[in-house]
Amino acid sequence: MTVLDLPSEAPVPVVAPGVTMRSLSEEVGEPNLRPKTPLWWWISFGFSLSLLLVLVVAVIWTLDKSVGAWGINIPVAWGLAIVDYVWWIAAASGATFLSSMFYLTRSPWRTATHRIADAVAIACSASAGIMPIMHLGRQGLFYWLFPYSNVMGVWPQVRSPLWWDFISLLCYIIAATFYFYVGLLPDLATMRDLARDRRQQLFYGVLALGWRGSSQDWAYFRFVYLIMAAVMAPMVVVVHGVVGLDFAGGLTPGWHSTQFPPYFFFGALLFGFALVIMLTILIRAAYGLDDILTEYHLNAMAKVVLVASLLLAYAYLWEGFGAIYGSDIAERTMFLNRISGLYASCYWAKIALNVIIPQLLWFPGFRRSQLLLFAISLGIAVGSWLDPYVVIVQSLHRNYMPSEWGNYYPTFWDWALFAGSIGLALTLFLLMLRLLPIVSIAQLRRIVKSAGAP
Amino acid sequence: MPPMSAAHRDYWRSLEELAESPGFAEIVEREAPRFRGMLGPLDRRNFMRLMAAAMALSGLSDCGPEPDPRQLLPYIQQPPGIVPGHANFYATATTREGYATGVLVAHLMARPVKVEGNPAHPASLGAASAIMQASILELYDPRRTQTILGQGQIDSWEHLITALFERREQLLPHRGAGLRLLTGTVTSPSLSAQIKALQQQFPEMRWHQWEPINRDNEHIAIQRSFGRPLDKIYNLDNADIVFAVESDLISSVPGWLAYARQFAAHRRPDETGGKMSRIYAIESTPTLIGAKADHRLPLSPTELVATMRYLAAATGAGPSDWKQVQVREAAWLDAAAQDLLQHHGRVLVHAGREQPVEIHLIADAINGALGAFGTTIRTIEPVAASPVLMRQSLEELVSDMAAGRVDTLMMLDTNPVYNAPANLDFATALKRVPMSVSLSLYADETAVASTWMVPAAQEYEAWGDARAFDGTITIQQPQVRRLYEGHSPHELLAVLQGNTLPIDYELVRTFWQGEAHQRGIGDFERFWHESLRIGIVESSAAPPAAATPAAGVLTSLPARVELPQPGIPLIFRPDLLVWDGRYTNNPWLLEMPRPFTRLTWDNAALIAPATAKRLNLDTGDVLEITYRGRQVRAPVFVLPGQAPECITLPLGFGHQAGALGAGIGFDAYHLRISEEMWTAAGATLSRTGETFSLATTQGHDRVAGRDLIREGTLTEFRENPGFLQHHQPDESLYPPYKYPRYAWAMAIDLNSCIGCQACAVACQAENNVPVVGKDMVLQNREMHWLRIDRYYSGPAENPGIAFEPVPCMHCEDAPCEVVCPVHATVHDHEGINLMVYNRCVGTRFCSNNCPYKVRRFNFYGFAYQEDRPAESWNPQVTVRNRGVMEKCTYCIQRVRTAQIEADKQNILVPDGAVMTACQQSCPTQAIIFGNRNDPESAVVRRKSSPLDYVLLDELNTRPRTSYTALIRNPNPQIEGAKT
Repeated sequence: MTVLDLPSEAPVPVVAPGVTMRSLSEEVGEPNLRPKTPLWWWISFGFSLSLLLVLVVAVIWTLDKSVGAWGINIPVAWGLAIVDYVWWIAAASGATFLSSMFYLTRSPWRTATHRIADAVAIACSASAGIMPIMHLGRQGLFYWLFPYSNVMGVWPQVRSPLWWDFISLLCYIIAATFYFYVGLLPDLATMRDLARDRRQQLFYGVLALGWRGSSQDWAYFRFVYLIMAAVMAPMVVVVHGVVGLDFAGGLTPGWHSTQFPPYFFFGALLFGFALVIMLTILIRAAYGLDDILTEYHLNAMAKVVLVASLLLAYAYLWEGFGAIYGSDIAERTMFLNRISGLYASCYWAKIALNVIIPQLLWFPGFRRSQLLLFAISLGIAVGSWLDPYVVIVQSLHRNYMPSEWGNYYPTFWDWALFAGSIGLALTLFLLMLRLLPIVSIAQLRRIVKSAGAP
Repeated sequence: MPPMSAAHRDYWRSLEELAESPGFAEIVEREAPRFRGMLGPLDRRNFMRLMAAAMALSGLSDCGPEPDPRQLLPYIQQPPGIVPGHANFYATATTREGYATGVLVAHLMARPVKVEGNPAHPASLGAASAIMQASILELYDPRRTQTILGQGQIDSWEHLITALFERREQLLPHRGAGLRLLTGTVTSPSLSAQIKALQQQFPEMRWHQWEPINRDNEHIAIQRSFGRPLDKIYNLDNADIVFAVESDLISSVPGWLAYARQFAAHRRPDETGGKMSRIYAIESTPTLIGAKADHRLPLSPTELVATMRYLAAATGAGPSDWKQVQVREAAWLDAAAQDLLQHHGRVLVHAGREQPVEIHLIADAINGALGAFGTTIRTIEPVAASPVLMRQSLEELVSDMAAGRVDTLMMLDTNPVYNAPANLDFATALKRVPMSVSLSLYADETAVASTWMVPAAQEYEAWGDARAFDGTITIQQPQVRRLYEGHSPHELLAVLQGNTLPIDYELVRTFWQGEAHQRGIGDFERFWHESLRIGIVESSAAPPAAATPAAGVLTSLPARVELPQPGIPLIFRPDLLVWDGRYTNNPWLLEMPRPFTRLTWDNAALIAPATAKRLNLDTGDVLEITYRGRQVRAPVFVLPGQAPECITLPLGFGHQAGALGAGIGFDAYHLRISEEMWTAAGATLSRTGETFSLATTQGHDRVAGRDLIREGTLTEFRENPGFLQHHQPDESLYPPYKYPRYAWAMAIDLNSCIGCQACAVACQAENNVPVVGKDMVLQNREMHWLRIDRYYSGPAENPGIAFEPVPCMHCEDAPCEVVCPVHATVHDHEGINLMVYNRCVGTRFCSNNCPYKVRRFNFYGFAYQEDRPAESWNPQVTVRNRGVMEKCTYCIQRVRTAQIEADKQNILVPDGAVMTACQQSCPTQAIIFGNRNDPESAVVRRKSSPLDYVLLDELNTRPRTSYTALIRNPNPQIEGAKT
């Protein structure tokens, strides 16, 4: 077990040469323990909290007025709520994949960034979780999807991809929370030990669940963490794959294609990494963690983004090829409309943002420049939102029945829910940023140690 | 404030009465003297307080001096004949422009909830039009006027009687000079007898009639052709060739439901052994018969006259030099004329009521020359009690009014302030009439402008009688106690006759007692009972009046066709659903898409695509139309199939007063003058630069390469009946489910469907389908469970038009069912795809997965937002809540009712015992429903047709609803005949 836990040799220094065991703990842990909260945090928190307030209003409004407050209709019965859902779950899945898969591959750059990724996954899955519930016509009855024994003797319909989705999302949120918390334990103990304030000691002490750093603790920890990582990596592929099955299982031109599970997963990979890159750049600047979150990390993640972008390009190509090559007139007219119709700008924007612009990452200069990397990642975030928007809205609006073709325009409340969900994720993330070490101290110690620092 | 139900209204009213009664004052004085001050004029707050007091004290009224003599009985013992869940039917009739169509009104728990056609009635044959179906909503409409207004103040029936009596006393010495009566077309024997009696009392009284959508031109032509007024009855069973000149034969002539049935029977080559009628249509604006035509020519109004002259010459009915007139499609016309000549005696030329006298004369001449009279047309004595020319009649009235010669004007169910020709300025003339009484259902323009506004009893609330297109009489019986203070025209006229306590029942019954005596019917009670029960008076059809058109009428016509004036002519046409505007207050009819435009909630100026392009107009652009100094702003709708260089303005919208319809659409009557009632040349158009949102329900007009409408020609069908079959084998990994007893299925014949919308309104009435409003239609959220798709093929100038009713397909392998996570939509053991509303959580995945898009999502709990009393909903169908999906259920409530009846007798439901609402209302029997397991059933016969196909076959959903492919019968001599 311990052998597996050793990070492989990195060709270039993963952390800056000056980092020592002690400076590592202090550099990462100290900001959380400082009684004075930095101004940038308050500004960001104020912003995200006001967005969260928008969410509260949007949710109350929607519950009161019904989903009719949105722009959905027949034929476009799914709108922004589902688009947002796919987007958030893509972010969460991609981030968890970063954390778990690259733990299994022993990639050294993952060590310093996985805490950010895990926090992103938790924050994003909260926003993802509210969307399918809000989307329901009768939101209060969402629990009917849950297989519980009831007097009606009715069980959920297990053939429905929506049910698979409900179950896999539920499993994922539970598992991701555990995964996050387990990985946090040694660091919480470090925080407890660093803390001087009694309240802080109590806070971190209770959270640390009595971690003493004994070799028994470490042995269990490594074992559990490894198992969890091995579970999480395939799980996120399944989670976002099942989201893809919602569409693949649907008898709608533009949806009814077996490529959806991998296609959606490629998208998740792209967006999850882009999001972690953006946050890494920001946190690095905010906390001054240049020596821990080095260019090495950004460079490595940018390369994964490039790979994901190419994979997604393959899915896009296949989508077009299938529609043109196939004999189904509905599929073909749908695709021609996709590239030239009402929503064509969204389609071409997502192609540009997800596939074409990320090709700049072939050049090392773009991977090194934080500004450009941030801009490209931001573009990917937008493109990743447009992707489900085009798939959902555009496909439905050009269905099998020309007489029932119709357009969809998001309303104020559609956008309010979306903005609000950003507020929720951001608020959660900022709270975690303020209270928890945002870089895994315990796991980074190994890197520092292997680098030969005292 | 929520709409008050009728029951509630009575309740409030009786307490108000109670509050005003001297007994109550005494009680208050005795029991609660401090409430004394509240007696008298009531404001809302005091009324509420008093209500509370009244509630508390009401028990004490028994102790008072005047106990209520009427008894209220509890529902402990079931009244005989009223079984919960079991419908009783009562026959009566609805009228439009005076002509009756028989209906059966279904009562559930003693409340009328649904209108069906009366199969015994010649004008219905069991079918019920959209307007007839919607009449049940009119009955319950809380927006109807409910109280008598005298000079704008709430007044009482007693005061009106007093006022009319005073007037009567003044009129009697002058033999009724100054007394005028204005009605629509009257066919009612009892009402016309009353009017005649009134005329005897008041010899100077004059009776005027006005219908804005009148048939004056037709009547003038008949007068000239036959020398006397006659009515024409058509027999399409004998018509192999129909030449329709913007004809309303299967859309609005009296008796059109019956004609449509005959029409469709000759359009089903798979049932008639390859025989089929052939329809030619020339028209300026699309008509239902034009859409069904095998050859259709869009022609502007002036071209129509020239074309008919050419046709008359070509068929030998008119002067041969008429062949010299310039026509666009001479070869087409020659071929049509040849066809007509070859089918001597089996042809019918029919011109719509809007066509000028000349076209009617030519049509009659061709009919005469080709031996149509006696075979396809028979003439009868006029059905209307007093056939007059409406325009002339109204003009006389208005000139007398303007000259101050009218001092008492009784207007019965007519709205001339709104729909009289604009140049007559009826409203101004009305101001000069000292006493005007308007009997109307709604506070319409005429009612508000009159000195007395009297609420009319709706047709289902009063006794009356009316005649059908062939003269058959129906005695109308009320279906319900009057919901509001309505009065029937009989009652109002009886007051003038000197009757102080007129009761419609007695008036009608007394008339029929006399009538029965005259007809030599011994047992009056039996006659009365039977006539009411079956809904028609036996052998009361008008006697035939053998007549042939006079020869040489055409030679008296001017030698040349008048040259058209410059400018785009305006064409005034009734709206097929709100007619002349009298149904504009009916939300079902407003929200029902128009057959061609698929437009709801508005009317629009219809313009041909080429003209729109030339004028640089698009759908939704607002035009200002100026004609003789009057202006109207109208949104444009670009309509394929409209003749170029003319604009059709649908009448019936743009009400200034009324109820729901006020302010909806634009008022084309504003431009209509008495000299040019149907076509007005010389209008100027200008773009305003504004746009207006028009709510249409159809997204795209063409099938876009899909196999949705299968269409072919009769020749192809005769060569190979199965030429449109390309069924792919059903493939499934699972063994097919067995349906041992019933397997319900539907077949829809595209050849029969004429696009009249009757089925869609029937579905709405039967299944409690809510109205959503224009803003929701604009957002594609209409709720109609059954929609009618209208597809165009070919060039936009003159496209092929196909109607396709689309209910739920009830697929064997329903894609909606597998994706519902909570089992809310499931298959039953008889193959019906069910919707369990209570279980639905509203994921809407089923709608996404439905390739036919027949599912409707209830976004706002629309039913609860509607202003209609609770008792107007069909109690056998759930009123759906907010946030659930809903759709066609094959009228499962009807299926189950029939099954329970059959189970009681331990038999299978016999074929025809269960009809879906759409099937029952369809005038052409385009929809057939039944048990697919019964090899003798009509649905199996229809489905075994070689033309049977299902929509989107390739998706392997195996729908239970199938279609019969559309076959046209083009004339091989006409080039480009293949559609």
